Amino acid sequence: MHDLYLTVRSVTPAQKGWDALLRAGLDCRMLRAPRQTAPKGCGYALALAVRDGAAALRVLDRAGVRVEGVWRRLPEGGFERSGMGL
Amino acid sequence: MIYLDNAATTLQKPPGVRQAVLRAMERCANPGRGGHAAARLAEETVYRTRCLAAEYFGLEPEQICFTANATEGLNAALGSLAGTGDRVVISGLEHNAVTRCLTGLGARIVPVAAPLFSREAWLEAFDRALIPGTKAAACLHVSNVFGALLPVEEIGALCAARGIPFVVDASQSAGLLPVRPAAWQAAFVAMPGHKGLLGPQGTGLLLCRQQPRPLRFGGTGSRSVEQTMPEELPDRMEAGTLNVPGIAGLGAGLAWLRSRDPAALLAGERALLARAAEGLERLGARCYRGPGQTGVLSFRLPGLDCEEAAEAYGRRGIALRAGLHCAPLAHRTAGTLPEGTIRLSVSPMTRQPELERFLRVTGALLKKR
Repeated sequence: MHDLYLTVRSVTPAQKGWDALLRAGLDCRMLRAPRQTAPKGCGYALALAVRDGAAALRVLDRAGVRVEGVWRRLPEGGFERSGMGL
Repeated sequence: MIYLDNAATTLQKPPGVRQAVLRAMERCANPGRGGHAAARLAEETVYRTRCLAAEYFGLEPEQICFTANATEGLNAALGSLAGTGDRVVISGLEHNAVTRCLTGLGARIVPVAAPLFSREAWLEAFDRALIPGTKAAACLHVSNVFGALLPVEEIGALCAARGIPFVVDASQSAGLLPVRPAAWQAAFVAMPGHKGLLGPQGTGLLLCRQQPRPLRFGGTGSRSVEQTMPEELPDRMEAGTLNVPGIAGLGAGLAWLRSRDPAALLAGERALLARAAEGLERLGARCYRGPGQTGVLSFRLPGLDCEEAAEAYGRRGIALRAGLHCAPLAHRTAGTLPEGTIRLSVSPMTRQPELERFLRVTGALLKKR
C-alpha cells in the first residue's frame, strides 16, 4: 500500500523525484497532493510504501529534490505528519 | 520553394516534430493543473522535453524555463539584472531583442565594436569596456546578420573575474554549436526553440544559472494560496498555461538533434555556406565572411537594392531575407547601414542542389540588371 506521502512544491520536482525513485527501484505513484498535505494549496506528492520511506528520502536528497512534508495516510482516513526524515 | 531563411525560423522540421505537436494537441491537457490522465500526459510531455534540454545544455531540469521565444527569455534575463541608469556592456552585433529591451529598461547601453570575424578584437573590446560600475553584460554567441562567432566563453571569464553577470543570446547557435552555460559562466542563456533546435514557432528556452525576476505573474499550479510568485524554478518563470504542443514539438526537435553527430551537422552547414559564398563572389557579389562563420551569410549584389533582390528571389521560389534583420546596431558596427544586406541561412535540411539553383538564379538576376 502507498501510505506514505512525500510532498513537493510543484510538478517539476515531483517528476524529477518520481524518475529518481523509479530508477532506484522504489515503487511509487505521483499524484496531486491531498488538501491536508498541501497547506499552501496545490502541490504534488510521491506516494510509496511506508517501509520504503527512509530509502526514498535518501534518493530524493541525492537527486536534489526538496521534500516539503512527510505524511502518513491513516486507516480511518486523513493524514498525520510522519516523524520520518526531514 | 528553396528555403534559405533558416536564421528567421527553420521551416523544414524533422517529421517527428509535427507528429509530436499533433499528439499533444489531441491528448494533452494542462500540465500541473489536474490529476487526471490527460493532465498527467501533459506533465510527462513537458518534463521529457525539459530533461532533453537539460541534458543537451548540461544543466538540471529545473534550470530550463520555457518561453515563447528568445526575446521573452532575453527580456526576463536583462530585466532581472539591469534597471534605469545601469551601465550594460553589449556587443555591437546585438539584435533589437537586447537593445530595445535595455532601452525600455532605461539602462545605459555601452556597445563595443570590433572587426566582424576577429575573436581577439572582440575579446579586447569587452576587456576594455567591462569596468567597475558595469551592472551586466550581454553578448550573442553567433550574429544573426553575419554569422560571426563571438568568444563567449572568454568574455564570460572576464565577466566572472569582475563580478559582472553575463547574458548570452544563443539564438543562432543553439542546435548547431555547443551551448554550455556553465563553461561560459553565464547567469542566463536565451534561445528560440524554432530555429536550430527545430521545434515549432512560439517556443523558446531560458537557461537559468541565477535567480531571475519573473516577467509574468499568475498561476503555476503550485502553492496557490501564496500571492507572490514561487522562488523555485521553473515555476517562477512559467506563470500561465504552457504551450504544450509547442514544447512537445521542441522535444522532438531536440531528440532528432541528439540522434545526429553534431560535428557533422556543423561541418555540413559550414560547407554549404562556403559553397554559397564562393559562388556568389565568382558572380561579383560582396560577401561578408570570415573564420568561424556559422549558419548565416550576408551579401550584396552589385547594382541591386537588397530588398528588391530578395523580392526577385522570392518570385523565383527562393526564400531569403533582406534589410536590417532587426539588428540595426550590427549593421552600424559593420558599416552596412542604411541598406543592410541580403541574408542566406541554412539548416540541416538544406541540400547542395538547392544552393546550385540559388546561384544560377543569382547569375540570371545579375545579367538582367
